[in-house]
Amino acid sequence: MTEPIESRETMLRDVNAKPRSTVVWAAALVLAALPLVISVPLATDILIWGIFGMGFNLLLGYTGVLSFGHAAYFGLGAYASGLAMRYWGAGIWAAIAAGVAAPMLLACFIGALAIRRRGVYFAMISLAFGQMLFFLALSPLKHITRGEDGLTHIPLAEVFSLPLHKPVPIYYFIFAITTVMLYMTWRILESPFGRLLRAFRENEERAKACGYNTTLVKFFTLVLSALYGGLAGALNMLYLNYVPLTTLFWLTSGTIVMMTILGGKGTFLGPLVGAAVFLFLQNTISLWTPRWELFVGAIFVAIILAFPGGIMGTIRTIVNNRKTARLQKRAPAVPSEG
Amino acid sequence: MFSDVNWTVFFMQLFFGLALGSIFVLLASGLSIIYGLLDVVNFAHGTFAMLGAYAVFVAVSLSGSFAVGIISAVAIVALIGVLVELFLLKPLYGKDPLLPLLLTFGLSVAVPDLVKIVFGLTGKPVAYPEGLSGATLAGPLILSNYRLFIIVFTLVILISLWLFLKKSDLGMIIRAATRDSLMVQVLGTNTSRIWTIGFALGTGLAALAGAIAVPMLAATPDMGVEMTMTAFVVTVVGGLGSLGGAIVGGLLIGVIVAFTSLVAGEYSNVAMYFCMAVILLIRPRGLFGESGRE
Repeated sequence: MTEPIESRETMLRDVNAKPRSTVVWAAALVLAALPLVISVPLATDILIWGIFGMGFNLLLGYTGVLSFGHAAYFGLGAYASGLAMRYWGAGIWAAIAAGVAAPMLLACFIGALAIRRRGVYFAMISLAFGQMLFFLALSPLKHITRGEDGLTHIPLAEVFSLPLHKPVPIYYFIFAITTVMLYMTWRILESPFGRLLRAFRENEERAKACGYNTTLVKFFTLVLSALYGGLAGALNMLYLNYVPLTTLFWLTSGTIVMMTILGGKGTFLGPLVGAAVFLFLQNTISLWTPRWELFVGAIFVAIILAFPGGIMGTIRTIVNNRKTARLQKRAPAVPSEG
Repeated sequence: MFSDVNWTVFFMQLFFGLALGSIFVLLASGLSIIYGLLDVVNFAHGTFAMLGAYAVFVAVSLSGSFAVGIISAVAIVALIGVLVELFLLKPLYGKDPLLPLLLTFGLSVAVPDLVKIVFGLTGKPVAYPEGLSGATLAGPLILSNYRLFIIVFTLVILISLWLFLKKSDLGMIIRAATRDSLMVQVLGTNTSRIWTIGFALGTGLAALAGAIAVPMLAATPDMGVEMTMTAFVVTVVGGLGSLGGAIVGGLLIGVIVAFTSLVAGEYSNVAMYFCMAVILLIRPRGLFGESGRE
């Protein structure tokens, strides 16, 4: 007797496994337990950069658009929410709303100007716009942003009478938002829109020929990605109770690029894994040398050369290869159709 | 409306702008040659310029001659460029076109830290070369000799570059490979070697920019990224992959930066990005960009 064989459709679906919503809840469970394993500040950083990376990954990993100026959205989110709290006495939710809305408007502007351009061109232009914001905050707008000192004297925030300036409450506050964003990202990727994104990355010309407006979809993804960036920036402001000028610095844009590639662009958990590994490396190397950029940069170069899929992408390839090999071994047993 | 004094200030600032722009021209033309030939946007371009600046510092302190400094800077950095192209970029050709950009970005993060370990955090000054330290009077204008030298030197380099590309056999092959690399290969030329030469040429030009800038700026580990950004802005303004665009864009940005630092000092860093945004609005492919390449 031969063992029961799945139909060919089941086999193929198995090879191209989509992230099931269990992925979201499993990730949330791990993140909930994270402060038990590593220090709370490190865990909080992982969540903030993880949210930032999820949005960046939608753009780079799923649409194939490389933005080298994502610090603009992160920093603008931090400054907009911080300024709202400091000067207008905005509450925490109003501040977060401001921190999300302002970067989305900026993304509309940058997208309208540049999203039509070819990949490398868009990368250069977005980088330049990021620098423009950095220099604007540095000196012409110094009287509002406090220039190099960063934005201080932001009132302490509370939510449901939880003091958000204490490490553990802020961690679980950000954790709750991270879980919402994880679920939202999963829903976006599983929606027809999400499939469209992947279709573009694989073959933009063909998607265009099928009648899809590729420019419009890229534009929407950029704005959506700015939402994540702004949210992460606003949360970073709440966490630090301070907005450093470095939130707008080019290295912030570079860091999110490195984290996303390290974790695996175009994979669901890649940005979170990338943020965790990157921050862990940075913290560990900083213990014995201030020159962590040398090591992180070198590791990044090695990843680009040897594993462009990043950690999760490489794991996915290995798992898929194993699955295919197993299926191929069984293939002769499949009765020929017709 | 304009008094004589105002005109003097105007011409002085124009002169500063042209000298600054000359450095941008050298930077951006290197970037353009590399992009045109290899389709690689070299994020580490400014990093190569920074290495050029340090090479001048080392060579001048060893030999005492600025000319030796410039020549060795170009030679050393071009050699580093050859190694980078052979061992790091070559494996990425034919894959995702964003990978070379990301790889050179990684270099621009790692290499400045290496320089910090070797040379320390503080800037390394290089004295003005002898005979170029004073100033020349031209009517009411006081023109610094070194800035005059930068302008003339850039002009000489550009003319020799033009002659090389237009008149020499190798230049002809480089121009042909920029147009259609595959066809050149079909005709029996080893394009792989041409690409290596092109990358060395581009990084050599970057080193030249860093080398002639160093007496005015001093060599610092973090000057590279700033120079990369400037080169990107110039390239977007002038048009990607166009040598003429690099020249006009470089001079234009140099003059704009010089005038804004006179009129509104705090906006001097922002001005070139504004200029880029305006160009993108009215002429998205840049001043000299070919349509279809944007």
